[in-house]
Amino acid sequence: MNAAVLRYRVMAYVTGVVLIVLCFVGIPLQVAGYPAVANDVGVLHGILYIIYLVCAWILSRKLRLATKPTVIMLLAGTIPIMTFIVERWVTRRFINPALASQAEQAEPVRR
Amino acid sequence: MENAVPAGPAESAAPAPSGPAWRFLVQPRWLGWHLLMVVSFWGMLWLGDWQLHRALGGNALSWAYTFEWPLFAGFAVVFWAKTIKDEFRIKRGETTGSAESEASRDDLPISVRPVQVNVGTAQDDDGDEELSAYNAYLARLNAEVKRHGRWHGLRS
Repeated sequence: MNAAVLRYRVMAYVTGVVLIVLCFVGIPLQVAGYPAVANDVGVLHGILYIIYLVCAWILSRKLRLATKPTVIMLLAGTIPIMTFIVERWVTRRFINPALASQAEQAEPVRR
Repeated sequence: MENAVPAGPAESAAPAPSGPAWRFLVQPRWLGWHLLMVVSFWGMLWLGDWQLHRALGGNALSWAYTFEWPLFAGFAVVFWAKTIKDEFRIKRGETTGSAESEASRDDLPISVRPVQVNVGTAQDDDGDEELSAYNAYLARLNAEVKRHGRWHGLRS
C-alpha cells in the first residue's frame, strides 16, 4: 500500500512537471518556430504518462476506488497542473483515510 | 460512478431479485460508460492510424505516437473489463460472503472492511451500561463512516 502510494506520487509529480515544461515552454517555442523542445518533451511525456497510468491504476485498485475518481486520476496526467491538484485531492480523501484505518481499527473496548 | 447498485435499503439485502446478475450493465448510467468506452477506443485507434500515416509520410516523431495510441486504446479496454468484473464480484460477494474477502480484509480501507463491533449485551459486559453505551457509539460511528465513504466514491 505504502509503496503504491509512493510510486503514484512520484509519477504524478514527474509527469506533472514534464507536462508543464511541455505546455508552457515547449509549445510557445514551437509556435515561435523552434519545435525541438516540444518534440522531445512531448515524446518524454508520452512515455511517462504510460508509466503514470499504470501506477495510478494500481493505486486506485488498492484503494478500491469507484470508477469516477479512478478516471479523474488517470486523466489528470494529460492536463497541465491537474496532477498536483488531483494528487492532493486523492491524498486527502482516499489515501489518508485508508492509511489511518490500516494503523488503527475500530475495536470495541474490553475491560 | 458509485457502484450502479440501486441506492437505498435494497443495497444491503440480496442483489436485485428482479433479474439476472448482468442486469446492471444495461442501466442508463452503464450504457453511457459503454458508449464512452466504444467512442474512445475507436477514437484512439483512429489517432494511432493518423500518426502512422504521418510517420510513413516522413515525420519520424510520429512513430512514438503510432505505438502509444493503440496502447492507450488497449488500456481502456482492460480498464473497462476489470471494472465490470469487479462489479460482478461485488454482487456475488454480497450473497456468499466469500473467503476471498476474508483474506484481503487487511487491505481494505475502514469504510469497506467488515468490522466486528459488539454492541454491549448482558452476556459479555455484565450489564456495564457505560461500556455498552460506548460500544453502541462506536457502532454508530462505524455506520456513519461507511455511508460517508460510499458518498465519496469508495466501493461499498
